[in-house]
Amino acid sequence: MNAASGSTTVSTAKSQPASIRSFLGWPKAGPIPLAVTAVVAIALPLVLHSTYWVGVCTLALIWMVLNQSWNLVLGYSGIWNFGQLAIYAIGGYTAALVSLHTGIPWPLTIVVAGVAAMLVSLVLAIPSLRLRGIYVSLLTFGFAEVVRLLVIADSSGVTGGTFGLSGFDGFGISAMAPEARSRTFYWIALLGVAITLLAMYLIVRSPLGTGLMALRDNPALAAARGVSPMKYQLVSFGISGFFAGVAGALYAFTYGVVSPSLMGLGQMTLLVTMLVVGGMGTLSGPLVGTAILTLVQAELQNWPEIRLILLGVILLAIVVLMPRGVVPLLAHRTGRLKSWMAQGNSAQTKSST
Amino acid sequence: MNAILQTLVSTVVQGSMLALIAIGMTLVYGTLRVLNMAQGVMVMVGGFAAYTTVVRTGLPTWICLIVAAVVTFLLGVLTYYSAVKPLLGRVGVDFEMTAFITTFAIATIVQSVVLLIYGPRQKPFDPLWPGRIDITSDVSITYHSLIMAAVAIGALVGLGLFLSRSRYGLAITAVAQNLDAARLMGIPARRVYVVTMGIAAALAGIAGVLLAPLYFVYPNAGDLPLLQALIVVIFAGLGSVRGTIYASYIIGFLSAAVAIYWKSAYALPVLYVVILLVLVVRPNGIAGKPQEARL
Repeated sequence: MNAASGSTTVSTAKSQPASIRSFLGWPKAGPIPLAVTAVVAIALPLVLHSTYWVGVCTLALIWMVLNQSWNLVLGYSGIWNFGQLAIYAIGGYTAALVSLHTGIPWPLTIVVAGVAAMLVSLVLAIPSLRLRGIYVSLLTFGFAEVVRLLVIADSSGVTGGTFGLSGFDGFGISAMAPEARSRTFYWIALLGVAITLLAMYLIVRSPLGTGLMALRDNPALAAARGVSPMKYQLVSFGISGFFAGVAGALYAFTYGVVSPSLMGLGQMTLLVTMLVVGGMGTLSGPLVGTAILTLVQAELQNWPEIRLILLGVILLAIVVLMPRGVVPLLAHRTGRLKSWMAQGNSAQTKSST
Repeated sequence: MNAILQTLVSTVVQGSMLALIAIGMTLVYGTLRVLNMAQGVMVMVGGFAAYTTVVRTGLPTWICLIVAAVVTFLLGVLTYYSAVKPLLGRVGVDFEMTAFITTFAIATIVQSVVLLIYGPRQKPFDPLWPGRIDITSDVSITYHSLIMAAVAIGALVGLGLFLSRSRYGLAITAVAQNLDAARLMGIPARRVYVVTMGIAAALAGIAGVLLAPLYFVYPNAGDLPLLQALIVVIFAGLGSVRGTIYASYIIGFLSAAVAIYWKSAYALPVLYVVILLVLVVRPNGIAGKPQEARL
């Protein structure tokens, strides 16, 4: 919503519902807020003096990558995939296994993990294609739980069972001083977020993104207009799986451990809450939601039981009170403010001429 | 021979339990279009309600079945008012999706509240009727599993009669079959929703009491039943009561067979593969209809 489009839509502003108005045109990030955010994000670990808080921020960044990838399927494509955590964990495990058993450099390992996760995601997508709405969520949720239970029950030693895998030298910087190391982890994760965000931005603005949203909003019409549901959904599952795998690999390399606790209901509640709070189907929603909830989580670190209760209450309250999430709500409010200002302006110019 | 007998016994007991839990989910989905992710938590709460009653008051165990049913019924009604009712009739938001998320939130809240009150430790719960009978020299059935099967089948028959004979039951069936027509006939749909959510939760609560001696009572006790019930309802096709009962026994048989002949840890993965195959062939499960005709 910039000022120019605001003044042209003034006449129709009253007759059109605000939700439609805010979807007119592509969402544009202002260059100044974007630059400020980038500078703050890069400088953050230099300002924060405690390694603990840098660690918290790093985890938030990894979750941002994961939530961005999930948002592509859940928010933009409207496919109810609740198996993303399993894909994420598969990325983590692949990265761990590759770096344990081979000596290939870490950027390549991350790509390998992403590709492995992408393949699993595609396999999951095939049965999902034939299903509709709620059945997809059942299928994918079941998939995630089965993967978790299989890993826990695994006694062959490949995945390490309940205890997971550790003892691999992720980024190869274990010799660094703790403070410098945690900063390096942070910047690598930040690079991951930047790449994911750029990729999502390009996808959402491309014909692919338009097709996905068309399929979400009106599958029959979109298919009739030549948007192939199969092709588009497979592509969205694949891309989303790739970035989820990258997030898993980042987690594995940053913390030096992968275990079944990456998945599970508690984790899923947390991540779904982040998406819902921020607003699904928006680019900045997952980032904002993740930032807010990571802060809440970190503040409540000492009361784990209350933390989960609060998480549930936040999730419930957000869905009931503002189902679109924080970002669309704010965008709606600023949109209204701008059109109100533009109305005042045009009234003034009219009266002066 | 013994293994076959064991499998059959297991099938009846597990299948009845699954039916009790899954039928609640299918009823709620049929009437409200809500996939109730809080159903597993109701199983757990049923177990805790019975445990508390027995430990605190020392009442006979069959009374705790009733207490558990009442407690979970109320919790089900509360779930409706807090998680489902605010979403009804909302425009521009996918109802099924948001309700999925809110019931999921309820499950998280209830589970953590129970964790806060009772702590994470597994609590033992005595069988409703101790002892066992021998069928052959190697195969024996505990009286408790007989009770499990009997109570579950009794509850299912009772539910069937309720749905087909009583006023409220017929109202539930009518709303599930055609909401608009039911409303035009003067059925108060909102009240039907409340009763349905309550009954579904109460059935899960009863299952929770019956399962408690086998799996102990602890805050995560509802996770596995939820997953199994999800598998059953996908297999059956959401909203079909008869299909759910068939599916429960088929799934019960499969998981018993895998556990006895292979390894119990593989029961769920094998079931999952079966579900995948079924869904690829029939996207609406074995009894689900693609359109609105249900129940």
